[in-house]
Amino acid sequence: MQAHCASNTLMRELTALFQISPSSGVPIYRQIMDQVRSLIQSGRWQADTMVPSVRQMAIDLEINAMTVSKAYARLELDGVLERVRGTGMRVKRAASVASPENPGSVRSRKERLRPAAIEFIAQGNRIGLSVEQSLAVATKVAQEILDSSIKAKALK
Amino acid sequence: MNVIETSQLAKRFSFWDVFKSVDLTIERGSVVGLLGTNGSGKSTLIKCLLGLLKANSGKSKIFGEDSWDLSAQAKARIGYVPQKPNFYPWMSAIDIVDYMGAFYDSWDFAWSRKLIKRWEIPTDTRAEILSPGQKQRLAMVVALGHRPELIVLDEPVASLDPIGRRESLRQLIEVTQDGDHTMLYSTHILSDLERVATHVAILADGKISCYDELDLLKERFKRIRLSSMEILPKTFSISGSINLTTSGKEAIATLTNVSEDLIEQLKQKWDCEISIEDLNLEEIFLELSGREAMV
Repeated sequence: MQAHCASNTLMRELTALFQISPSSGVPIYRQIMDQVRSLIQSGRWQADTMVPSVRQMAIDLEINAMTVSKAYARLELDGVLERVRGTGMRVKRAASVASPENPGSVRSRKERLRPAAIEFIAQGNRIGLSVEQSLAVATKVAQEILDSSIKAKALK
Repeated sequence: MNVIETSQLAKRFSFWDVFKSVDLTIERGSVVGLLGTNGSGKSTLIKCLLGLLKANSGKSKIFGEDSWDLSAQAKARIGYVPQKPNFYPWMSAIDIVDYMGAFYDSWDFAWSRKLIKRWEIPTDTRAEILSPGQKQRLAMVVALGHRPELIVLDEPVASLDPIGRRESLRQLIEVTQDGDHTMLYSTHILSDLERVATHVAILADGKISCYDELDLLKERFKRIRLSSMEILPKTFSISGSINLTTSGKEAIATLTNVSEDLIEQLKQKWDCEISIEDLNLEEIFLELSGREAMV
């Protein structure tokens, strides 16, 4: 479309790296997550690379912006991307791109969760929450996530 | 906040029950694909939701107001693209948009003109000689000109070829990508839906037989193929399976929530190899509606 201005050319080159197949059985947000991971793994996206904006991805790939947001948010949780205030998201240094297909033992996975747990507790501490209060937040969020996946009554 | 909320909504035309008990709650920001076979009542349901038809019983609310008794303020927050857009044939696109705009306080004249230009609708041509694609896009401009929060589209692209459908969809994505809009979109063309929908509602047998997030549906529904060393007994079953067919040493089943435990159990019990496949929306739709073909 002509509406895209020239400064978007660079971004379009980035979004062109993605191949989305909407009629696949794999949810679109998972496809984006997998492809971001492999772009990083293959070295095409180095640490600090700014990823295309949610809006740009949505328009170029012709998908819902919320789907892109969801993929980016999960990648942030997984320690692959990080938010840069005001400008968007970039590839994290030492991004952990280990594919979820090969998660390792429960013990090593728990070990991998440690840095995030420490950061979580520390963040709570910074805003004046006790450890118990922070944990209560995590428990509540976990419960909400469980509830929302249970609420589906597809089979009824 | 719930934008659309119905409970036990029923609509009957003389002796024909179009739907008997529709329960549907749509939250703000959702993009909902309303699926159903031809004649399942999608258009009728949409008309009842918008207060264009009176339901026989049950409740239907939009923005918390009764559908049949919507205030002007509530109506101004809704944009509707009907299945067959109808314009005064002698008016040009610009005339139509300006004419429609006069009915709304919040009409954005500059924006609707911008959309006409961006979507390449001829401005001075009489509406009657616009192509189906151009008419469809004009209907979208008319539905969007007052910047509605809720956009309801009834088979918006059924009359278009695949390229035109893709283009219309692209335009919808452009104007609604902020996550503030709620969209209800009826279609029987699943590929259109899979790009943009956050949720899927399936209308079948007079009720919503399934309403869920599209991603969750895809994640939950799996087909497993089981091949055993021995011939499986006639009584072979897997608890919770939707469809199960057994032939000789092989079995194919559709399941929701396939857990590692379940797979382990099956492997031990039947001494078998198991492969797990993803299902796309069309396959899930067929499994849920138990029908052979959709279109």
